[in-house]
Amino acid sequence: MKILIIEDELEIAASIKSYFKPNGIHCETSGSYKDALDKINSYDYDCVLLDLMLPDGDGFDILKELKKRNKTEGVIIISAKETLDTRIEGFNLGADDYLTKPFHLSELLVRIQALIRRKNFKGNNCVIFNEIVIDILSKTVTVNNTKLDITKKEIDLLLFLIGNENKVLSKGAIAEHLSGDMADMLDNHDFVYAHIKNLKKKLNHAKSGDYIKTIYGLGYKWDNE
Amino acid sequence: MNKKLLNKTTASFLLFSVLILLISVPAFYYITERLYIEETDETLSLHRDEFLKEELPKINSNDISLWNKYNRNVQIVPSHIVSKDTIFDKIYFDELENENEPYRELNSPIVIKGQPYTYVGRINLIEKEDLIISIALLFLVVIIILLLGILLITKVLSKKLWAPFYDTLNQIQGFEIDKNKKPNFMHTDVEEFNRLNKSLDRLIEKNTDIYNNQREFVENAAHELQTPLALFQTKIDTLFQLDVTKEQSEVLSSLNKDVSRLNRLNKNLLLLSKIENENYLDKQPIVINEYLKKHLDFFTEQAKAKNLNIVIEYTEKLKIKGNPSLTEVLINNLFLNAIRHNIKNGEISIIITSESITFLNTGQETSLIVDKLFNRFSKVNPSSQGNGLGMAIIKKITEISHWKIDYAFENNLHCFTVKF
Repeated sequence: MKILIIEDELEIAASIKSYFKPNGIHCETSGSYKDALDKINSYDYDCVLLDLMLPDGDGFDILKELKKRNKTEGVIIISAKETLDTRIEGFNLGADDYLTKPFHLSELLVRIQALIRRKNFKGNNCVIFNEIVIDILSKTVTVNNTKLDITKKEIDLLLFLIGNENKVLSKGAIAEHLSGDMADMLDNHDFVYAHIKNLKKKLNHAKSGDYIKTIYGLGYKWDNE
Repeated sequence: MNKKLLNKTTASFLLFSVLILLISVPAFYYITERLYIEETDETLSLHRDEFLKEELPKINSNDISLWNKYNRNVQIVPSHIVSKDTIFDKIYFDELENENEPYRELNSPIVIKGQPYTYVGRINLIEKEDLIISIALLFLVVIIILLLGILLITKVLSKKLWAPFYDTLNQIQGFEIDKNKKPNFMHTDVEEFNRLNKSLDRLIEKNTDIYNNQREFVENAAHELQTPLALFQTKIDTLFQLDVTKEQSEVLSSLNKDVSRLNRLNKNLLLLSKIENENYLDKQPIVINEYLKKHLDFFTEQAKAKNLNIVIEYTEKLKIKGNPSLTEVLINNLFLNAIRHNIKNGEISIIITSESITFLNTGQETSLIVDKLFNRFSKVNPSSQGNGLGMAIIKKITEISHWKIDYAFENNLHCFTVKF
């Protein structure tokens, strides 16, 4: 999978790149409007991460250019701007998702995966991890062909963990992912523990592998080893 | 009780006029009577002089009874009653009108044919009561006309002369510095009002500038912080993936907590300035009951750690008109506050009526300080994880939506009520 990061903060771009690399995502970076346009015109990407404020241009113009050329790249806007107007304008111009800075890299990763899944959607929309099959549309999880009795939140958590396989996730990152818009108001992330415990129990009960590891002091990890 | 400025001056005017009139009534009566008596005395003397000059030389002793018969007001009586001219008041009984009538009488010694006689000339006076009544009536009419006049004039004045003042007053009253509506004062040719308006204009302009600068500063600062915070966050996420020692992981973990706390603080600051700057004019009907039912799982989950008992009384359907995002932020903040500041095994009750929602929760056993409660960065417990912006956000939302938030501490329960 190949994505283009259009971001003038090179350090952020570099962090994204190094975080995604072990998960099989190849990133190219572009720090300016002009360079980004050149890259878009020369190559095809699965997904474009777009910062709106570039030193030599407006990110929205890149979005317009993409649509003009009938490019099929999925676009996720990553911006410090977070007014309702810019959000709406972004979606109207054809962006697929909008992530406000600052964000967790783990969150960005699952957003990209979800976007690619939606784009490549061919009748079935399943995430398969070894013996675990998650059907996104019907919201069911089967392990070794046994259907699990599982809540929507737990599916969400499962997708987040699998999407970030082999990554250490902080409780905060998981809590923010699970609580969405409410995250900004939460200062207690203890509820994550209960969700992890329940999910673990259900997976164990269905005789799935013991993938969820607790990393002392830091958080949790979906360990595929 | 507050009185209008105009009423105060009018009242003084009226009081003064009435006082002056009341004092002038006896004075007027006294002067009028004096003048009247003097005039009467003069007339009496004149009549007497005429009599002495014209009649006395011609009159005989025999004519006296005839004279007395035909001259009602000039009588000649025998012998000298007085030794010189004397004028005095005297009451005579009038048989025709059957009442006592006041007279002014002049007695003057005369001599007819060597015999001493007294000249008695008299003039009927106006009765005193009649005079008093007439004067009182006159003055009453004058007072009434005066009062009506003053009232009418002040009323017209208040409409015309004071119009610019009241216009200014109304505009100042409706002025709020965080609303983008500068007052536009009425033009006036009254110097004082012009000076007032100019001073107010200057004051408002200066304060609005300061306010806007400050607001922009908060917004810009929060915005500028987003990028370094994003850097901070991504670096920490990257660090999480490295092999670290136990000691390092502890530092990392606490760093991670700090950065998420910073994030929250910054997001809330941004939200506050967004509420102030952006027009959340888009209003939609929202049923609070449905919103609460939909998100109850989330809140119950948050309350689990403290083992709180949540009771919601949906007594009535609360249907409001408001901005959906702001309303959600309001309810979420209230609910999460009730959870956050609660005690272990505590209680939360939510009462919904058709025009209000009340959150009652257990917590610290003393009342919160109401004056500081809704201020930014005022925290009940300085060491708590909250950022002290929650209540300020709640207050701001209720303000711009024209709702009302109240706090009370009753039966050891903290009670927040929003009236829609």
